[in-house]
Amino acid sequence: MEYKNPKLPENNVSKEHPLKEFSTLLIGTLVLVVVVSITLSLAGSTLAGYIPYSAEKKVASLYDVSTHSDNERFPEIAAYLQDLADKISKAQNLPEDMKITVHYMDSPTMNAFATLGGNVFMFKGLLERLPNENTLVTLLGHEIAHVKYRHPIRSFGGGIAVAIAMTAIGSSADSTVLGDAGLLSTLQFSRKMETQSDLEAMHNLNSLYGHINGGAELFKIFREARGGDGGSEPSEFFSTHPQDEKRINSFTENANKYNWSETGELTPLPDFFKF
Amino acid sequence: MEQLLYVAVFVTLGYFFGKRAESKHFKSLIEREQHLNALPAMASRMPPQDGQYDQVLVSGSVVIANDYFKTFVAGLRNLFGGKITTYESLLDRARREALLRMKEQAQQMNADLVFNVKYETANISGQTSKKPPIIEAHAYGTALRKL
Repeated sequence: MEYKNPKLPENNVSKEHPLKEFSTLLIGTLVLVVVVSITLSLAGSTLAGYIPYSAEKKVASLYDVSTHSDNERFPEIAAYLQDLADKISKAQNLPEDMKITVHYMDSPTMNAFATLGGNVFMFKGLLERLPNENTLVTLLGHEIAHVKYRHPIRSFGGGIAVAIAMTAIGSSADSTVLGDAGLLSTLQFSRKMETQSDLEAMHNLNSLYGHINGGAELFKIFREARGGDGGSEPSEFFSTHPQDEKRINSFTENANKYNWSETGELTPLPDFFKF
Repeated sequence: MEQLLYVAVFVTLGYFFGKRAESKHFKSLIEREQHLNALPAMASRMPPQDGQYDQVLVSGSVVIANDYFKTFVAGLRNLFGGKITTYESLLDRARREALLRMKEQAQQMNADLVFNVKYETANISGQTSKKPPIIEAHAYGTALRKL
């Protein structure tokens, strides 16, 4: 018997160029990730909106946020902020069980935010720049409106739904690429919430003082802090908040729409509130 | 964003270095296969019946590392399914190299034929899916030398 190994043709490997396959797959994956994360974050945040507030409160109470606040060291400021928050809650018709707790933070960070369980944090770095009570009420009203419309839990719900999906496929594909794309698509949702809260803040500013003078000051402060006329402002897609200029203009637009007065007497801040 | 940059750098490096190593390897494979063509390797389990032979177990194994580009493409391919073409060439190279090493061993003992040839492949990169696969291919058979 004769044994032979003839020369085989070189065809046991696909001839397709690897870069072609690479680009097709990469584009396909990015489109898939964007579509899936937008769908999931919308679905997650919509569903999270149905979580009863009492359940949200229970979860939030597992973590004692008051340990971070400086309310005890500054009782006068804390009481004043809390008193304003209670007035605003009434003006915004918050449900009975939706109690707002304001936490004063003695920190130079220029920020204020609302989180789960009706907890609103106000930082000294932002408060010290406010010129009058009307602007402070706009800021507080904006954060309280977030709680009213359940934005914290909805944003968590959307974020968690996307995060779970990304972890699930992250093991088979590169998770850094997927994570970044996922983040961009959840940010866009929050911007709608900001606009909604701005409008609610204007409503309660008008109902408490009879005019909305001083409200737009808040966003002028942000614009100045960012360095003037928006030269260094990040492009709108990458920013959680709508652009400052747009928000300042929205005060005039809504004043015309709802027949609010844009002039009126400004209420000064109490003496102990000067930093 | 910084992480994205790292991924891009690794994928680019992987593509160019991986491509260079692969084409070099294929060139060497074709050359050596031609050289060893006179010594046939058969999968048949039935030894030749014409006379007496010395019988020796011969084997050849090779470990081939993957590059970042291939892993990245394969990872994306896992989402959609289908041929992972970037791994096809990797495994083809590993099997042919292992067979050649086995044949080289048989040639050293002046064998006339290797029969009952079998392949084994093993992934030795561990259980974690985060690491790029490293593949071992092992070819073994019975070398025969006519007495």
